[in-house]
Amino acid sequence: MKSFAVFWMRLLALAALALMFGTLFMLGQSSSIKVVNLIPASLSGETNQDSEPFLAVQTANPQVMVASAFTPNPVSSTGNAPVYVSQDGGSSWVLNAITPVQRMTCDITHAIATGENHPRGDLHAGTLACVASVTLDESETTDVSSSTAMSVQSTRSNVDQPFVRALAISNSDHIYVGVNDFNQPNGHTATVDVSVDGGATYKSVSVEARNTMGQDGPSIRPAVASDNTVYAAFFGWRKFDGKTATSDVVVVRDDAGGAGSNPFQALKDPSDNLPGRLVVQGVSIPWSNAPTLGQERIGSTLSIAVDPSNGSTVYVGWADRVGNGDIYTLHVRRSADRGVTWSNSDLPHTTIKDATNIALAVASDGVAGLLYQQLASGRWVTHLVQSRNAFATIQDIILANVPANAPAEQFLPYLGDYDYLLSVGNEFRGVFCASNMPDLANFPQGVTYQRAANFSTKTLTDGSGNPVAISIDPFYFSVPVIP
Amino acid sequence: MTLFTPAAAALPQGTQIQGAVVRQATIVFAGTVSQLGATSFADVPKSAHTIVVRVDSVLKKPSAVSLKKGDSVTVEVKDPSAFHEGTQATFYTDGWIFGSGVAVRELGHEVKPGGGKARAGGSAAERSFAQMQQQISDQELRDRIASADFVVAGRITDVHPWKVPKSAAVPYRVTEHSPDWHEAVLQIQSTLKGAKVKKNRMVVRFPGSRDVAWANSPRFEKHQQGIFFLKKDQVSGAPTAELGGSQVDAYTCLRQGDWLPMGEVARVRSLLKKK
Repeated sequence: MKSFAVFWMRLLALAALALMFGTLFMLGQSSSIKVVNLIPASLSGETNQDSEPFLAVQTANPQVMVASAFTPNPVSSTGNAPVYVSQDGGSSWVLNAITPVQRMTCDITHAIATGENHPRGDLHAGTLACVASVTLDESETTDVSSSTAMSVQSTRSNVDQPFVRALAISNSDHIYVGVNDFNQPNGHTATVDVSVDGGATYKSVSVEARNTMGQDGPSIRPAVASDNTVYAAFFGWRKFDGKTATSDVVVVRDDAGGAGSNPFQALKDPSDNLPGRLVVQGVSIPWSNAPTLGQERIGSTLSIAVDPSNGSTVYVGWADRVGNGDIYTLHVRRSADRGVTWSNSDLPHTTIKDATNIALAVASDGVAGLLYQQLASGRWVTHLVQSRNAFATIQDIILANVPANAPAEQFLPYLGDYDYLLSVGNEFRGVFCASNMPDLANFPQGVTYQRAANFSTKTLTDGSGNPVAISIDPFYFSVPVIP
Repeated sequence: MTLFTPAAAALPQGTQIQGAVVRQATIVFAGTVSQLGATSFADVPKSAHTIVVRVDSVLKKPSAVSLKKGDSVTVEVKDPSAFHEGTQATFYTDGWIFGSGVAVRELGHEVKPGGGKARAGGSAAERSFAQMQQQISDQELRDRIASADFVVAGRITDVHPWKVPKSAAVPYRVTEHSPDWHEAVLQIQSTLKGAKVKKNRMVVRFPGSRDVAWANSPRFEKHQQGIFFLKKDQVSGAPTAELGGSQVDAYTCLRQGDWLPMGEVARVRSLLKKK
């Protein structure tokens, strides 16, 4: 009996200790929402502007994820640029220097394909190296925990902003990389690189059919549905005066995974019968490669998402300048008939003033997710909005609410030209960047830091007790899909 | 791999480590092997080549990396048979995996004969290592000088935006990575490397963009002085510039460290003389 009592006393003491310990590292974290600072403990001394995050999830084993940001190789100017790897569902992350780019990428997105059954992640990445000239590498590793550098499958110069999506069809991986390809003739630069053999070969397909001012906007965004439907959204730039692009928001579609001889021709606009549905025409998109929205630049934020269970339902979101005193305003539209017709005004709750980094995703039960970052009252506020009725009613949670004036910008983009959201089972998972000041008030859903941080004094340390300046860090999050 | 004599000469008696290894190493520490065929934290793939080393002193590391005396580090070694539990050595390594701990790859190591305390653990050895680092830094500066077409000390007299002409080999594109070229007119005070330049003036192109692609490139302001390591412009697409009504070769100065403050001029001259 006595030993039984001692056992319970010890258990209670252990539980109390665990509670205290947990409080140190998972401050305020609710049991269902996870927000994690990606910087590992062993890099607690870093002060880089780790902006422009991206995320890939191994859908067959969602414990495996890869994230990226403008994070340099932590030890070497000639070593490979790294990615963050988690093998425990995002609770912990390590930095693994495996991209083909030296030191740091100047654009990186990626997706984990699942057709070839590589249990620790068949990662396909599109990276830009910016040493004198801009070079695109499309590369692959079949094991994200391996320290072997990714193998380059395709490379070329004179392109911008690769954006990678992947889809498994039977046992093969289809890879789609949206790029602004200045090698395309006649200024039809909006391009999707299509591979239907796991990246072994790529075919570059211009998806612009109309006259441009000489090129399209930087963002070309593919989205793939499980029924082999592939959409892509882009900004068709019709005029440009150096400060403002007059642009159409265009959506193209292919019903056979982009594998045919003349892909992405399925949607034609009734106004001119050319491929590419004009969701909106002639919007004014400010182009400013200088701090304009707080310390952030603006000019090309665009997202498209398709319902994974119903390839007919697709959402597109973008930002432009409305002219009502706004700097940059987000909009979301929806099509329920495979992109043939679109809502003729913004969906409810989706005209959002002075915001950027729009990212859309749709869960398998049809719930739509909308991630964005808004400049409000001198703070960057990161929202995740969910709706199961095309945003007529919404759940809006704030993941981060941080001062917009600190830290000072080291380069542009300050937070990123994009962030990312995707759906995995009954979760929305994503990444955003924000000030890493360890202040619980800045993270209303709670937060976990791997790096050394003191939330009582709101200071970072290098792991040896020395103070470290605040900087921009990438944050991973997981939020349950609303019932 | 060649022996880098100046660095090697700075090492104490018995040193076998080659200068190139010292130069390449990004994390250097003295430590004691505590486990063989093991790793110090999850996420590092364990193999016969991974050992765990307790850090006795840190000689070199980037400031971002958290590493201190008493930490356990995973080292992927080249030859596991060279180590046993208790071996004390100085490890010359490169970063590998950074998570809750540090994992590194061995580039080279030194074991003190007799298994005594590792060479670099004491202050004399640390001074020796610091001297070696200075010599390596000098070598990097020599390399920079060697790769430059011109090395000049001078002062910027004018800065203005420059638009890429339509005839340029690299046409202007609207991207977030566009360099937003600017031209600086450089009044040469002394030419440290290269032939004499007409009227002692040159045009230096540099990116005005704050984009990540150009984050580490030097940017110039009027009246700025210093040492400029210049290459003929092969980046902007237009190799010449207008200066005083004439077409002259344009130069670039794009890498971090391609501009140094005037206080470094004596060091640069000294390295040029030793060449």
